[in-house]
Amino acid sequence: MNRASSRRRTDVWSAMRIVFLTMLTIFTLLPMAWMVLTSVKTQFAALQYPPQWIPRSITFEQYWRLLSPTSDVGQEFLGYMFNSLIVALASTILSVLVAVPAAYAFSRFRFPGRNLLFYTILLRNMFPAVVFLMPLFIMMRWLHLVNTEMSLVLTYLTFGLPLSIWLLKGFYDNIPLQLEQAARIDGASRFQAFIRVVMPLSSPGIIATAIYSFILAWNEYVYALTFLNEKSKLTLPVGLQRFFTEYATNWPGLMAASFITSVPVVVLFLVLQKYFVRALTEGAVKA
Amino acid sequence: VISQAHSNREPNLLARIYRHRTDYLYIAPALGLMFLVIGYPVYDTIYLSFFNTPPSLAMEDKVFIGLNNYWSILANEEFREVTWNTFLWTVFSTFFAFVLGLAAALSLNQEFIGRGLMRGVLLVPYVISGVAASYIWRWLYHSDFGVIGAILVAVGITDKPVNLIDNVDTVLPSLIVVNVWKEFSFAMIMMLAGLQTVPDQLHRAARVDGAGPWHRFWHVTVPHLRGVTIVTVLLLLVSNLNSFIIPWIMTGGGPVGASNIWITAIYQLAFERVRFGIASAYSVILFIVMMAMGYFYVKALTRRDGETTR
Repeated sequence: MNRASSRRRTDVWSAMRIVFLTMLTIFTLLPMAWMVLTSVKTQFAALQYPPQWIPRSITFEQYWRLLSPTSDVGQEFLGYMFNSLIVALASTILSVLVAVPAAYAFSRFRFPGRNLLFYTILLRNMFPAVVFLMPLFIMMRWLHLVNTEMSLVLTYLTFGLPLSIWLLKGFYDNIPLQLEQAARIDGASRFQAFIRVVMPLSSPGIIATAIYSFILAWNEYVYALTFLNEKSKLTLPVGLQRFFTEYATNWPGLMAASFITSVPVVVLFLVLQKYFVRALTEGAVKA
Repeated sequence: VISQAHSNREPNLLARIYRHRTDYLYIAPALGLMFLVIGYPVYDTIYLSFFNTPPSLAMEDKVFIGLNNYWSILANEEFREVTWNTFLWTVFSTFFAFVLGLAAALSLNQEFIGRGLMRGVLLVPYVISGVAASYIWRWLYHSDFGVIGAILVAVGITDKPVNLIDNVDTVLPSLIVVNVWKEFSFAMIMMLAGLQTVPDQLHRAARVDGAGPWHRFWHVTVPHLRGVTIVTVLLLLVSNLNSFIIPWIMTGGGPVGASNIWITAIYQLAFERVRFGIASAYSVILFIVMMAMGYFYVKALTRRDGETTR
């Protein structure tokens, strides 16, 4: 093959690439752009046909209403947000505390049953959430945990665990044992060696698993729908649904609420996505 | 704990377990939680599937009926319809999400300005809440004021706004579009991570030998992606078999069951008709399908482990 034709072919490929990526970005962004555009319309303007592609006037009344602690709607919505934050933070912190030692043990120790237990944990991802719903609901009733944040924290904890343990184990596998041994020769205990040598090297993995757990907990819907029935306890996804049934035709309000619900996880993810991609590459795909 | 090579040669399992007793402390919290939230529910689901449970959920009044729950599910016309919907939903969602994700990963696997930003933007649907995503799309599909209907009219495909999600024929494809929108970037990020493990030297060597982009892709990239492809496709299949939020929020399984899939059917049985027994039997059937996939998943993972350690 001569150089000129190979060059031309490369051009065709890169042109196709640009067209494809542009179309994909439009497909990804249009629904979200429409959410934002709708959220700043008046209710009257939103319910028009043909639609106002560009809103003729912009209003932030829906956002003010949702975020002002003095209005009824605002009080409700801020409450959902606060509950979501508490539940997501608690399950994230606990899940990191549980996943780190487990992943470390699976990576470093050679105890009997290690592989069996490791793959049993990974199998958790195979089970549908709804399958566990009935027995867990019965169990939570029995433990008197129905209608408490605790029931959600306990459940969400285990969602993130399989992936967290898998990713972190990949990280620990890549940290040379000699580094730890050197620290121990210098007189550090196993725990000190872990804190001073292993932890800093695996912090991208820990950050990635923490983001993952947080996003899972923030977005979870099925268990929250089933375990909670008191309005003051609801988390955002269930709150959104309640909002929809109460104000069915207020699409600008619902879009504003969807936007506010999405902002924290999107910002968190965009800021920290490099850790996530790195963790997947180092922890999952290579290991 | 430290002399690992030594301990592996010890013949007695109990002695080995005893020698490693402190190791188990590290994994005890994880295992305990998994048992509480998974082990017990699995057992309880299988157990309940043999009983007729009262709607009051007073479990002491349940009646043992053997396999009758299973027979009545399998004999039910609705079950066949739901299974067919589940099959279409799972296969098409997985196929399109994977193909789009792979194409996106290949396009993003070269340095260019704004690459990181674009990757981030494409991942946004994957990280936002499923409930918010479902309401966004419900609004896009709205029968009177939906932007999709308006676009179809503007382009001239239809002469008045169509109702895509209240129509038995179009509801499932319309929901699959939403699902693909939400999850294709998961495939993208997995495949992107996989692509980064393809050694650069191989590509350069192939280029020196005169291989064009297509040959380089087929003979260098593809063989390297096999493992990560299997894992990605399996994870997509499982998450699609398990999807609940999109059909539940957007249509509730309707109209007349046209978008009802296994999970939404189980939820209706359990929490609307309060028939935990038969819903449990339904779950067990789903379970068996999952375990078959789980087998391949673990097999794919262990094979890759073996490859890299060798």
